[in-house]
Amino acid sequence: MSDLHVVGKSYPQIDAREKVTGTTEFVSDLVLPNMLFGRTLRSPYAHARIVHLDTSRASKMPGVKAVVTYSDTPGIKFGPRSNDWTIMACEKVLFEGDEVAAVAAVDEDTAEEALDLIRVEYEEIPAVFDPMDAMQPEAPLVHDDKPGNIAFEYKVDVGDVDEALKNSYFVYEDSFYTNQVYQAYLEPMGAVAAVDLCGRLTLWTGTQIPNMMRMTYARALGLPPEQIRVVVPDYGGAFGAKMENNVHLVAAVLAQKARRPVKLMNTRRDDFLAGNPRVPMYVDIKLGVTADGILTGKDVRVVGGNGARTIYAHAIVATACYRVDSLYRFRHVRAMGHTVYTNTVPTSCFRGFGNAQMTFVLESAMDAIAEHLSIDPAELRLKNGIGSGEVSIHGWRIGASGLAECVERATKAADWAGKRSRREPMRGIGLACCNHVAGNRGFVQEFDGGAGMVRIGRDGRITVYHGESDMGQGQKTTFAQIVAERLGVPLELIVVAQVDTDVSPFGLGSFATRGTIMGGNGVLAAAANAFRQLAEVAGEMLEAAPEDIVSENGMFFVMGAPDQGIPFMDVIEAATRKQGGAPLVATGHYIPPTELPNPVTKYGNVAPAYPFACQIAEVEVDPDTGHVTVVNFVAAHDVGRAINPMATEGQIQGGVAQGLGWTLMENMVVNEGRVANASFLDYEIPGPLDVPDVVPILVEPVEPEGPYGAKGIGEPALNPSMAAITNAIYNATGVRINRLPVNHQMLVREIKKRDHS
Amino acid sequence: MKVPLSFVLNGEEHFLMIRPNRTLLDVIRVDLGLTGTKLGCGQGKCGACTVLLNGEPVNACLILAPQVNGKEVLTVEGLGGDALHPLQKAFVEKGAVQCGYCTPGMLMTAKGFLNKHPHPTKEDIRAAIAGNLCRCTGYKNIAEAIHSAAYESGNSPADSERDDV
Repeated sequence: MSDLHVVGKSYPQIDAREKVTGTTEFVSDLVLPNMLFGRTLRSPYAHARIVHLDTSRASKMPGVKAVVTYSDTPGIKFGPRSNDWTIMACEKVLFEGDEVAAVAAVDEDTAEEALDLIRVEYEEIPAVFDPMDAMQPEAPLVHDDKPGNIAFEYKVDVGDVDEALKNSYFVYEDSFYTNQVYQAYLEPMGAVAAVDLCGRLTLWTGTQIPNMMRMTYARALGLPPEQIRVVVPDYGGAFGAKMENNVHLVAAVLAQKARRPVKLMNTRRDDFLAGNPRVPMYVDIKLGVTADGILTGKDVRVVGGNGARTIYAHAIVATACYRVDSLYRFRHVRAMGHTVYTNTVPTSCFRGFGNAQMTFVLESAMDAIAEHLSIDPAELRLKNGIGSGEVSIHGWRIGASGLAECVERATKAADWAGKRSRREPMRGIGLACCNHVAGNRGFVQEFDGGAGMVRIGRDGRITVYHGESDMGQGQKTTFAQIVAERLGVPLELIVVAQVDTDVSPFGLGSFATRGTIMGGNGVLAAAANAFRQLAEVAGEMLEAAPEDIVSENGMFFVMGAPDQGIPFMDVIEAATRKQGGAPLVATGHYIPPTELPNPVTKYGNVAPAYPFACQIAEVEVDPDTGHVTVVNFVAAHDVGRAINPMATEGQIQGGVAQGLGWTLMENMVVNEGRVANASFLDYEIPGPLDVPDVVPILVEPVEPEGPYGAKGIGEPALNPSMAAITNAIYNATGVRINRLPVNHQMLVREIKKRDHS
Repeated sequence: MKVPLSFVLNGEEHFLMIRPNRTLLDVIRVDLGLTGTKLGCGQGKCGACTVLLNGEPVNACLILAPQVNGKEVLTVEGLGGDALHPLQKAFVEKGAVQCGYCTPGMLMTAKGFLNKHPHPTKEDIRAAIAGNLCRCTGYKNIAEAIHSAAYESGNSPADSERDDV
């Protein structure tokens, strides 16, 4: 496919100009006529009965147009997957940050002041904060109808794990903990909500899943889905968090009651307390190998903290239980996952979706096994890594696998062999690999696929419609490149429409690293359809068969006769004239060859393609302070074909920075149910001085299922980063990191112990 | 109670009556409707609200509006003219923009920095933007864009535009 003109080339984001001039309208920038500003009153307690709630003084305050509590909502129990949500707290608050009341007023100051006038009397009740504690028989219940605080259980058992481990040369066994971290996108969550005279609700919000959110919210509000319109303006990052959240529904209820548009944006503190942070996990692992390093069996137990309501934590724990099994050639695996309610903020998706947590565990274990067997860690991965055309233990059909090439190119670029042999005190180098999915059939049960629509007006404007979501990763540009390539026109002619559920095709959304492969294939199919229509008209004009028409750089011509071409503008002029001015409209879709996993065996090909990666970190450790500096970082990623290499590399650099933050800096500190560091002052994310220049390497096997051979990059960019860094710390100090984030005092203590022994 | 406020924003004089506890950020975004400057944390940590106050980068969320009486403020809307400023151009071309929410603040910090340090090293640049957080890019392309704007543009930003704020 060396004859590609637009795909495979680096372009700035097609809307970068708006972004650098400050003219992009983000959700928080939207202003509607007559719009009010909302604020939310949140529970200061982790678990309490609401004894008395009085909003009368706030309601009477000048400038306040609506005050709402649970009693203003339809009172329906709902949720994306489990009906354990209400819009605002009913009788009880279940976590610090739970929505108790909200105000809409003429300006933000008034709304803020009105919150102080709401009187709430609470009666604290016993609470539970840690998922391990919550599983104890005498633990207080978060929901009375959920015995044992169990939200979900997941089990997978393939082969004979006990026998496999028994017959192993060596079984590595240890326990790990991955902590709760916050996505920390720069624009907090929020929405503008407006209700028309017929009661139809429009939500302008930054969401990764406009269509699924609409269905969940329709149930919550007791409205048919067609009575809700979701529009997705540009928004400032998401990384998994921006899916269902009560903030949008509170905005809707305020707008319903005030009968005026309402903008409700989380403050940063709101967002820390009630965003959708990462699922914390306890993991026990047993991993067996033969004497020459062939993996025999794997046995894990996962306990994940669900928080007080179910978003997607159960699916995240399930993912942790089994996705890594398709990274290597496993034959015997078993996992038991428990997703457990606690009186803490509901947890959900964050780049990696459980695979990030388990990749940290598995790749730490692999590092330890390599040492035990005196095998090079890279060699151990190559011995076991899954290859192109193989079928994994769970029936995942690996199309193209660039795993081995990732390992080979990363080790070469990082001077792995040289640096492993030249030992310097307190300096180390570590490696970790990962697999992932590009799309996930198991996540949404109804169907899988992607769709697109291309509209070409008489003015030649080519507008691409899709139902996924650009949260800043550059999806619009990717889609525009795919459509420009297929139509044979310059990229500049393509516009990508805002997702609007009134107009856009239904799309499941941007998660599971599915945007490029599902949405990309959807818009590619639509573009192919549009091209067929254009070729028919061009064929008439050139007196040739439509099948013989090709286009390049905006010119349509008969194959082999590029000199006698006609410009795209002439073709679309003729096409629209012929149909009375009607625009050329083409839809297209992609149905991937995926299968819903068997509910018992979990066997089934869940994704059309599987990305892989190998990352290598080099660290320096200060033995006196425990401070770890990541000095070099190489990240080799099998992304299929990179539609836009600069954007792909940008994803890798950003993903590694987040992984670095998680490993070395970030932790939501919860003391007796209260988040102790709910601000950027106290919860530090990596700044420009914390992140090295990450060296991205693109490994590009052409993926048969991908649009122009692409897979995806979003989540794998982060998956191996934690273990790459902690394995480097082990290489530098001999200290194995079993808990994230790295604890400086522990590291100093352990280094001292080793010095004295 | 409201107090008078008189200041120059992007070269244009403004007179308005404001409550004295109003932040510069609210005046710019809400009262004057220039939404290019962003609110990220409200605590002066993330730098998304960075503007130039008499040429110095400041967090507009921490400045009370009365403090800017008689002063000059430059926001991202005033950075380029008909053409993009070299920094804006470099941010576009180097892929320094992902979601774009931190971008206006980054640009203004970089502008204030290059005015004073026209020939920075890459380390200088990282230190200069240390008060601006970006969650998308990992900073590499941002630092490269600033470096490129300093060295690759025909006219040095420091020479040609020192006087515009």
